[in-house]
Parts: sequence; structure tokens; C-alpha cells
Amino acid sequence: MYGKGLRTLSIATVIAFAITLSLVFFYAPIEADQGFLQKIFYLHVPLAIISLCGFIVGGIFAVLHLRRDDPRYDAYSYVSIHISVIFAVGALLTGSIWAKGSWGHWWVWNEPTLVSFLIVFLLYATYYPFRYAIEDRQRQARYASVFAITAGAFVPLNFLAVRASASLVHPRVFATAEGGLPGSMMVTFLCAIGSMALLWTTLVKFELSAKSAQGQMKRLRRALDAPTTAATSRIAPEVH
Amino acid sequence: MLAPLVAVAPAIPNDVGGKYVAGAYIVFVLLLLIYVAIMGMKLARIERDLREVAEIAEARKAEPSAEEAAPGRGSQEPSISDSLAPGGSRGSGV
Repeated sequence: MYGKGLRTLSIATVIAFAITLSLVFFYAPIEADQGFLQKIFYLHVPLAIISLCGFIVGGIFAVLHLRRDDPRYDAYSYVSIHISVIFAVGALLTGSIWAKGSWGHWWVWNEPTLVSFLIVFLLYATYYPFRYAIEDRQRQARYASVFAITAGAFVPLNFLAVRASASLVHPRVFATAEGGLPGSMMVTFLCAIGSMALLWTTLVKFELSAKSAQGQMKRLRRALDAPTTAATSRIAPEVH
Repeated sequence: MLAPLVAVAPAIPNDVGGKYVAGAYIVFVLLLLIYVAIMGMKLARIERDLREVAEIAEARKAEPSAEEAAPGRGSQEPSISDSLAPGGSRGSGV
């Protein structure tokens, strides 16, 4: 069921990425201040934005889970957070590479944007051991949902707090005072955001499809009273 | 590693910036490849499990034909084979 439309979505993602990369390397102009290094932003910033949005989506699914008591929403929340954590790793790595090229350091501790993103990442990194620590599936799902809602609410607050703080170091892609990006860069950047959102959706669907297959397999084994030989995950929720 | 990339995209300057940009995009591709590899392993495990379950189901299906006298056993078979069929009653509960 979750695999429905996955092929179309995958093809759309590949095409979107091909278009975005063409725009990044052949259409968008070289930025005057940063030079060619700025091309990293078409990868790093969408990764960061989509991962943060994914965390919020995970929180929204967690709210739906608590309201409707439907385990499917817990699975959606788990998978959304899982994929967003992977995207956050990508954002941190590509950001570090950019920082090394631009500032000469892999990491700068007095930069609020970097440190706040790391805090959000570390917060969500605790989601897995938190889930894993609870044996009972229902309690696990409920507590994980509460965590996802609290952390999901923290993400925009954290973003706004950092945005409000006056930083002269970290560049702003959507500058508010200086007029923002020129048209060609903005088009490329929006394409990059769209491609990354498509990739996130494809991976979420792919992960849900795999989890669903795993869940069906467990049900089948239970129906057959066969011993479970497969490594079953106590962290991941079962998707039926 | 950079040479093919520069050949494909001549706009990439072969300076310090080019090196970091290529590095960032390679890291992203590697991250995706690692994820796909992990998912591939998971799917291979599910496939192996499915094969095992199919063998168990087939073995059970063969049992009543040998012991036809055993009452009640035969009625359980259709549900098991239905579960194994794609889109079967148990398999479509998503």
C-alpha cells in the first residue's frame, strides 16, 4: 500500500535533481562575495530546511497519533523524524565543508545558527534511545509522540530565536534587509528546495513501505506460529 | 575524482572552492548510497524471511494431504495461503 506511487515519485525526484544540478552548475551565477563555494548552499540550505520541516511534520503526526490513537500516525511520525535526522546529518556535514572553505574552520562554536542546529540534531538523536528504552509498545508510541510534539515545537522557536539574534558571521540566504537573492539564484534555490522535499517524501514512502512489509511478515509468522528469526526492531513501530 | 566532474561541468573552477563544492556534493551522494545500502540489506532480510515463511506454509499444506483423517486442520490452510498471496487478506491490511 505504501509502495503505491513510489516509482513515479522516485522518477520525479531523479528528474527534479537533474534539473536542479543543471541550474546550480550552468545557470546560477557565481556569487560575488563567496565565489564558487556558494554552490554548496544549494545543497546545504535545502537539507537543513527540509530536515527542520520534517521534524515539525513528525510532531504533527505525533499530535494526530495522540488524538486519534491510530498507530499508523506513530509510524509516520517515527519515519518522518528518522529521515529528517539523516537529512540533518547531511546538513551538518555539508555545512562543515562550507565552513572549512569559507572560514577556514570545520566548526565555529560562537555561531548561533550552527550551534542551534547541532542542539536540534542532538535532541532528535536522543529520540532513538528514548524509544528503545521503553518495552511496552503502546507506552513507547505515546511517550515518543509526546517527545516528537515537544521537540517539534522547539524547532520553530529555536529557528526564530536564532534568526532574531544579530549574527554577522553566518550568511542569510533569504536576506530581509539587503533585498535577498537575485532572480536566477532564487529560481535555482527554490528548485533545490523542491527537489529536496521530493527526495524526503520519496525516502519516507520507501521507509514506510519497508516497515509495512516487515510488519506484514511478523503478522504472517504469528499466523503460522513460526519462530521469528529475523532481527526485529524494538525501536521502530510496526506498520500494518 | 574531480577530473570527471570538471570534464562534465566545465563551469567548476579547479581551485579551493571547487574542491570543497565537489566534496560537499560527494558527501551527499555517499550519504544517500549508505542509506540505500542499509535499506537494501533490510529488504534482503524481508525477502529471506518471506522465503522461509513460504516454505513453512507449503510444508503445512502438504501435511493434511498425508493425514487426511485429522479433522479441522484443512480449514486453516486457505487463510495461510491467502496471506502469502500478494494482496491477500492479511497482506492488504495497510
